[in-house]
Amino acid sequence: MLEEKQDTVPWWKKANRGFTYLIRRNRTLLVFAVFLAVMPFWAKPLSAPLGIDLIFVMRLVGVFTIAAVGLNLLMGYAGQVSLGQGAFFGIGAYTSAILTVKAGFPVWLGIIMAIIISALIGLLVAPILRLKGHYLAMATLGLGIIAFVFFREMTWLTGGNEGIRSIPGLALPGIGVTSRRGEFYFVWVIALIILALCANLARSRVGRAIRALHQSEVAAEAMGVNVAGSKIRIFMLSAALGGLAGGLFAHLQGFIDPNMFSITLSISLVTMVVVGGMESIWGAVAGAGVITFLPKIVEALPKWLGEVPKWVERYSNYEGIIFGLILILTMIFMPSGITRGLSDVVRYRRSPFINPFRKKVVE
Amino acid sequence: MNGASPSFVSGNVDLLKASGLTKTFGGLAAVKNVSFTVREGMIKAIIGPNGAGKTTLYDLLTGIYQPDEGGVLFRGKEIIGLYTHEITAMGIARTFQTICLFPRMTVMENVMVGLHHRTRAGMLRSSLWFPSARREEAWMAEEALRHLDMVGLEMQAENMAGALPFGQQRLLEVARALATSPQILLLDEPASGLNAYETRELGEIIYGIRDMGVTVILVEHDMGLVMRISDEVLVLDYGEIISEGTPAEVRNDPRVIEAYLGSELG
Repeated sequence: MLEEKQDTVPWWKKANRGFTYLIRRNRTLLVFAVFLAVMPFWAKPLSAPLGIDLIFVMRLVGVFTIAAVGLNLLMGYAGQVSLGQGAFFGIGAYTSAILTVKAGFPVWLGIIMAIIISALIGLLVAPILRLKGHYLAMATLGLGIIAFVFFREMTWLTGGNEGIRSIPGLALPGIGVTSRRGEFYFVWVIALIILALCANLARSRVGRAIRALHQSEVAAEAMGVNVAGSKIRIFMLSAALGGLAGGLFAHLQGFIDPNMFSITLSISLVTMVVVGGMESIWGAVAGAGVITFLPKIVEALPKWLGEVPKWVERYSNYEGIIFGLILILTMIFMPSGITRGLSDVVRYRRSPFINPFRKKVVE
Repeated sequence: MNGASPSFVSGNVDLLKASGLTKTFGGLAAVKNVSFTVREGMIKAIIGPNGAGKTTLYDLLTGIYQPDEGGVLFRGKEIIGLYTHEITAMGIARTFQTICLFPRMTVMENVMVGLHHRTRAGMLRSSLWFPSARREEAWMAEEALRHLDMVGLEMQAENMAGALPFGQQRLLEVARALATSPQILLLDEPASGLNAYETRELGEIIYGIRDMGVTVILVEHDMGLVMRISDEVLVLDYGEIISEGTPAEVRNDPRVIEAYLGSELG
């Protein structure tokens, strides 16, 4: 009956219906897109007094959003903890950098190759997905270390500790993207498309299957979900998104070296997912935003406050301490992440903070 | 209702045929040389004291464990060696003794996972939200509600599965298993933890499932339920079959009385 009804509806009505449906479904995304579209206009005058170049930082937020949303699908939705997302980020960055600098590929092709190579390496190491929980975390940590050593030691290919310099900027066939603002739009258009696709995926049959295997592998398998296959596919997708983010990053920075892709990167990507909110597409955006902006804000603090006391300033790494402290406090008071906490405010008119010292009644 | 209801006549087709199934765990035989046949359209109960190997037998039938010896033919096809999800796709579904729902998904989503192998949209079609994926999704929602309706949980569709009371979680397990469109449904102690009223309801639901044409195998400790609804009973003790037959035959088998039922029904 459903089929018959659709056949009598003219195509333009169908298209229109589909369009309104899409808009309704992605309302948050559209609001966010509008926010980003006008951002350069109000961010520019704001940047100087804040002491933070907002557009400059937002480009990076876009890049990390892509990597974090991939990791969130793997870690938040499918429950497979990976401390190796930084490795795929690095693989993507090096792939695109090497291909464009040494082989003369156009930038867009370099980035596409970054996606493909990362996904293939993801497939290659997929057997580690047989491991569970902490064991998987350890194995992926090893993956990150191997990648880091590889970047540093394969001097003929990766340039060793020197890295690769003068990587061409982002460009589409025929159009070069030169300005900061252009880069900002370029990155965010891609990031928004990725967000929309991932949001669709999370709500679909595939999304349900990976959430199911997160909660009970035995039951998911018994319900006809190919658990091993689903894990591999989602791991490849996560790797591919890491590679895409890495590729974009290389062209934004213009130079890369191994230290950018050390284990610290993997850990901050995991932190983005956890702080932003597991099992949440918007968590990736919030997490990437907070984790990228926090160090810049901490850096800019002395400018806002005037003078930093001498004894604080003499302690050179106080930014790191403030940063860590904020993370710890977030985890204690908003354990399910920023997005969940804030959406609770809107939905249930409830404080986003929980009291961690209260006795738990129900688990 | 007492005895087997005649509303569905058991066919003569052998749907499932297990022969010589043996599984040992470190020298301890959990299942020893077990052979039995399940004819289409019947309700077959498997009973036995705790640790008799009933759940292990289920795990063998659904491919969670591989047997050391023996084989299982399902509609004449060997299923030993297949993955669990392949066996599910062939038409064998099960529930779990310890409830194994997806607690942080809604009741409806739980059932929709059961529809997984009956739908096709992969990563690409799902993420691009193709019309075909959308149609599939609509079909899944409709079908899931239909299955929830069958066990009387349609009002709970939007609630989290983990928040349901215990009895309803058991029913949800049944609905989720039915969503895979099985030919055989393996129920693992569905009445444990249910009160007398809920157990009676469960009996009606199992009859309903049988009347839909689904063959039911039932592992159960509740003797009242077993004797009331099953067509055939298989008794396991220490991994071996000690008796098989109609409820009346089994009830009067001296070996069964000695090994298991004792004074309970004697």
